Amino acid sequence: MVVGEVAVETDVVVIGGGPGGYAAAIRLGQLGKSVVLIEKEAMGGVCLNKGCIPSKALIHAAGEFHKLSSMGKIGIRLPQGESSFHMTEWQQWKSSIISQLNKGVSHLCEANGVTVVKGAATFLSDDRVGVETGHDFETFKFEHAIIATGSRPFLSGFLERDGTHILDSTDLLQLTDVPEKLAIIGGGYIGMEMGMAFSKLGAKVTVIEAAERILPQIGAAFSQEIQKQAKKLGMTIKTSTKVETATVVDGRVELRLFSEQDGEELLIQDKVLVTIGRKPNTEKIGLSQADVHVDERGYIPVDQSCRTNRPHIYAIGDVTPGMALAHRAAKQGVVAAEVISGLPSANDSELVPYVIFTEPQIAGVGLTREEAEQLGYDVKSAAFPYGANGRALATDQGSGFAEVIVDTKTHLLLGMHVVGAEASNLIGEGVLALEMSARAEDLSMTMHAHPTLSEVWMEAAASVLGHAIHVVNKK
Amino acid sequence: MVEFKLPDVGEGMHEGEILRVLVKTGEFVQMDQPILEVQTDKVNAELSAPASGVVTEIFFAEGDTVHVGTTLLTIDNGTKTEKAPPPKTEETKAVEAKEVKEPVTAKSVGQGAKRVLATPFVRQMAREMKIDIEQVQGTGPIGRVTEEDLRRFAQVPHAKPSKEKIVEPALQPVSSAAKGSSASREKIEERILLKGIRKKIAEQMVKSVSTIPHVTSVDEFEMDELKAVRERLKPFAEKKGVKLTFLPFFIKALVLALKEFPMLNSSLDEESNEIVLKHYYHIGIATDTPQGLIVPVIKDVDQKSIFELAAEISSLAQLARDGKLKMEQISGGTFTISNVGSIGGLQATPIINHPEAAILSLHKMEKRWVVREDEGVIRWMMNTSLSFDHRLIDGVTAVKFTNRIKELIEEPNLLFAEMI
Repeated sequence: MVVGEVAVETDVVVIGGGPGGYAAAIRLGQLGKSVVLIEKEAMGGVCLNKGCIPSKALIHAAGEFHKLSSMGKIGIRLPQGESSFHMTEWQQWKSSIISQLNKGVSHLCEANGVTVVKGAATFLSDDRVGVETGHDFETFKFEHAIIATGSRPFLSGFLERDGTHILDSTDLLQLTDVPEKLAIIGGGYIGMEMGMAFSKLGAKVTVIEAAERILPQIGAAFSQEIQKQAKKLGMTIKTSTKVETATVVDGRVELRLFSEQDGEELLIQDKVLVTIGRKPNTEKIGLSQADVHVDERGYIPVDQSCRTNRPHIYAIGDVTPGMALAHRAAKQGVVAAEVISGLPSANDSELVPYVIFTEPQIAGVGLTREEAEQLGYDVKSAAFPYGANGRALATDQGSGFAEVIVDTKTHLLLGMHVVGAEASNLIGEGVLALEMSARAEDLSMTMHAHPTLSEVWMEAAASVLGHAIHVVNKK
Repeated sequence: MVEFKLPDVGEGMHEGEILRVLVKTGEFVQMDQPILEVQTDKVNAELSAPASGVVTEIFFAEGDTVHVGTTLLTIDNGTKTEKAPPPKTEETKAVEAKEVKEPVTAKSVGQGAKRVLATPFVRQMAREMKIDIEQVQGTGPIGRVTEEDLRRFAQVPHAKPSKEKIVEPALQPVSSAAKGSSASREKIEERILLKGIRKKIAEQMVKSVSTIPHVTSVDEFEMDELKAVRERLKPFAEKKGVKLTFLPFFIKALVLALKEFPMLNSSLDEESNEIVLKHYYHIGIATDTPQGLIVPVIKDVDQKSIFELAAEISSLAQLARDGKLKMEQISGGTFTISNVGSIGGLQATPIINHPEAAILSLHKMEKRWVVREDEGVIRWMMNTSLSFDHRLIDGVTAVKFTNRIKELIEEPNLLFAEMI
């Protein structure tokens, strides 16, 4: 950088063009601010390019492919011969979706007056950001900045990613062939989503989880439902198991495992996916030069308005402590943009829904039964099975259940969780119900269209009140 | 059993001091018999028994300060109450208050802490109104905070919530917040709860200005004649132990003028759409006290002599400064005089004491050059400002009214001539 170089002045610099960053930039544009959005890779961030969207495209393809094997049951005979999945063709389809969405985001930024700069950004001081644009170095002087640099897969010491055999989730979604044997280290939501998808596509999948059960963050009854389905798909689940070494030998990976129950074990796999967590991207952006603090794990603490310790610098999304979810980032982005523009917005709700695209899907919002009890609530809960819902049976999706957790005295809804088909879409009703402080009665007295899966909420709410129609109520 | 609670004796009081307890435990009281005397920050009020019966318990002693709504004593009138025995100590009271409160401050959901029940829109609205929603008692289902609750909350002044509860970072003007530290801001600002008399003044002023279209007409009076009369009468007043100021003369002149211009002694009943012409003359005297502005009222001034008025003005002013005025001594005025001349000032736009029709301000008396018979002469002059309700009084009427007072003040002998 040339000292004394002229900096381009702007109201706000947004670092990172993921779902949080671009939402913030667009909102700032709407509110009349001059905005520079800096993205070093592709617009849309991990979510759009290597996370949510491509993984859901794979999960969709896997689901469709897998259904072919159960067509006979519902009276559909397919032409003779093996059906097959061609991952290279899937890659083309995936790319077309991503490029369509990339263009959409770029167009929206442009339409809202956002200046997009491609390059890697670094804070030079608390009011300047430098961007390496490949052949050039640009400086921007800002009034406010929003840090939205996101997170990346976390890899532990010996599990060194080589991109060919030992993969992170990004590499996995770039494969052009379905591996014959795939081991997944980490039975969290990414591990289970990918494991089930590849299993449906024909891979022999082994999931290795250090905790006592897969999906340790969600309720036990829900993870059991997934465990059951995983076994049906032919997956091997090894819980309370640790990976001691991983070595690549002759183009294959040798995993040495250890568990209390089985002792040592050697596993030879074609590919290994490591999904044991994510890490915030806060090291290489010069935070210390802007005097922005990070905690001991590298996250940037923020207040309700997404302000960091420097009141004119904001942080949103995966770089802030909390669940690494795109919808949380987008909400924070909008809040930060509005606060910068002088509006009294705040990220004031802890009702962040979670969605897991396993088979079947899981989604939820609010407290689990255990959490509610810990908070001192006198709790009642009831579950309604998909098996008693007409639509679920008529679409061959009869496994799963919906659970509502309420305060015994007031029937205030405290948590709504569902495992089953379309859980991801069903949870919308749950988030709204909780945000509106609805009671179980509000849910049960609201007419739900028949025959739809949404009836499971109405029935679960009626069940907690003791008058569900389609199950025998507990006395 | 009847629980007698400290009522709001008007004027938006929050608490009062028990001045005197007029009954004893075990004593039989008649309904409406005076039982307590309470002093608020503005008035003394005598409280009377709500029912006949035997006083079973008195919870406070003279000198105690109690909040409105607190049970002061119980009277056994033969009926039963469903309520548990009344609170005996502060502690049990606190517990009871909590029990009542709990269902309406229900909070829920979230990791680590129960949250306030309110929809996203209401939460945003609270921030817009700069209200800490955790301080608001919800009246919706399960104690949900509603839009209406916020509006109600905003109308009552509240103590500033403690620091950690403030969600305010979002509300500070962003650009300045980036520069100035919060510590320096604290030094240059201080927050005082708007309460008691100050709050009452604020409410009264807003009510008046927002309902009455004010017009102010300014004039100047020549005071030499009245000054001379006052000087001659002073020794007589002193003999009677009375301090004679200009004010009683103004009140006398004012009454004569009010009788001739009855609209100035009226008020507008907006509910019934009627103009109320008052055939009594109760004149409020705006008085400065350590707590703020208070307007003691001199009743039936048309039936009192100048010396009587002078005596009453001094005694009311003293009571006002001591905070010992009774409710009836500060209510029922029909017209107000604001005498700020002793302090200074050239002219003003006084605010009418709602629901009256006009207010007269008297300003500083001073020697000025004036023209009399084409010659410059020095005279003692005083400015007056008359604010009037233009819904009831036209400009011409107001000026004629002022002219009449001017005439009586400039030629005080007329006061005797017009005396009934």
